[in-house]
Amino acid sequence: MQDLTESQRAGDPPPAQVDLEALVAERTRDLTKALEQKTALLHEVDHRVKNNLQLISSLLLLQNRRVTDPAVKASLRGILERVSAIATVHRRLFQSDDVERFDVSAFVRDLVSDMMGTSGREDIRVRLDLERVDVAAAKAAPLALVISELFSNALRHAFPPGHGGEIFVGISRDDTEFRIEIADNGVGLAQPTTASGFGLTIVQLLCQQLKARNETSSADPGVRVVIHLPVNGAH
Amino acid sequence: MSAQPLEVLIVEDEVLLATELEYLLQELGCHTVGMAMNSEEAVAMAEALNPDLALVDVHLEDGPTGVDAARRIKADCGGVVLFMTANVKRLPEDFAGACGVIGKPYSEHGVKTAITFLGACLREGSAPGLPPVGLQLSPAYAARWGLGDLARAG
Repeated sequence: MQDLTESQRAGDPPPAQVDLEALVAERTRDLTKALEQKTALLHEVDHRVKNNLQLISSLLLLQNRRVTDPAVKASLRGILERVSAIATVHRRLFQSDDVERFDVSAFVRDLVSDMMGTSGREDIRVRLDLERVDVAAAKAAPLALVISELFSNALRHAFPPGHGGEIFVGISRDDTEFRIEIADNGVGLAQPTTASGFGLTIVQLLCQQLKARNETSSADPGVRVVIHLPVNGAH
Repeated sequence: MSAQPLEVLIVEDEVLLATELEYLLQELGCHTVGMAMNSEEAVAMAEALNPDLALVDVHLEDGPTGVDAARRIKADCGGVVLFMTANVKRLPEDFAGACGVIGKPYSEHGVKTAITFLGACLREGSAPGLPPVGLQLSPAYAARWGLGDLARAG
């Protein structure tokens, strides 16, 4: 830098330096253009992902309006819930400025608002204790699905009609792990139905993928599930 | 809801989305007056049918023309526009005169609470409370409906 200033002061820069500067300017132009194209492409893909998720939701909702069998309706609702959880992840990911990190607590607020609203159960309260916790974007969808299944399970099975109560969701972190707790004060651990059986299979499989531990215990009354997710990589 | 059902125009080029939205509006007691797939249709229908609310996607059959359509619906017909788009960040700062935006992918419950909230705002001329999760109001409409502090807060 200093050399350059001095040689300019001394007179015209040597031809080699002129070439180099032109080369750098050209290369910068090319890189800027390439970055612009990549950014535009990313926006385009983001747009398509969101629209396709919306399309999948609409298909499920439309079919749900047609069928009358309660078992089929319940299955469609279950799938719709899972698609919605993934859709919420994508909406959240690209809303924030950092597309690499995913704010789990913000997601939980959206999810809970949606699921409680859809359930229409005004006799069930929700209590949240959410610390700001970010996970890598790659873990966002599986973690979102785990939380969605557990919350949905509590909502559907802990409180039979006429039996209200409270669902608690807590998120915190220490040096090594994130702790995600979903607890209810409902009717407690009964024999799982086949529908919740599939939900719990999803939880087991995704915890395996996330290298997370999950513990289910009695909350006296009710059920408490705690997910321990390692902060970085392996447990 | 009120005695007069809210009259809604749907501007959306994905027919399945538009159809599901129509069912959803019906459940809310709204009346869908028409569905447009491109900006020309949208403006023509808004002029002819004079809806209370137009739900407008940014990307339509004729390209990213939803923003322009929204401006024309507002300026020519005095209609209230709500954007429903996956591209919330690309909307102009003044929302092209629209009252707000719902980001896609939206949830059934998110749309229902947003439309119910807007119905109340349009009827009363002021907001019944804070906007529900998923609905972002434009600064101009937030101020008009008595939520000016919210607009300034960001």
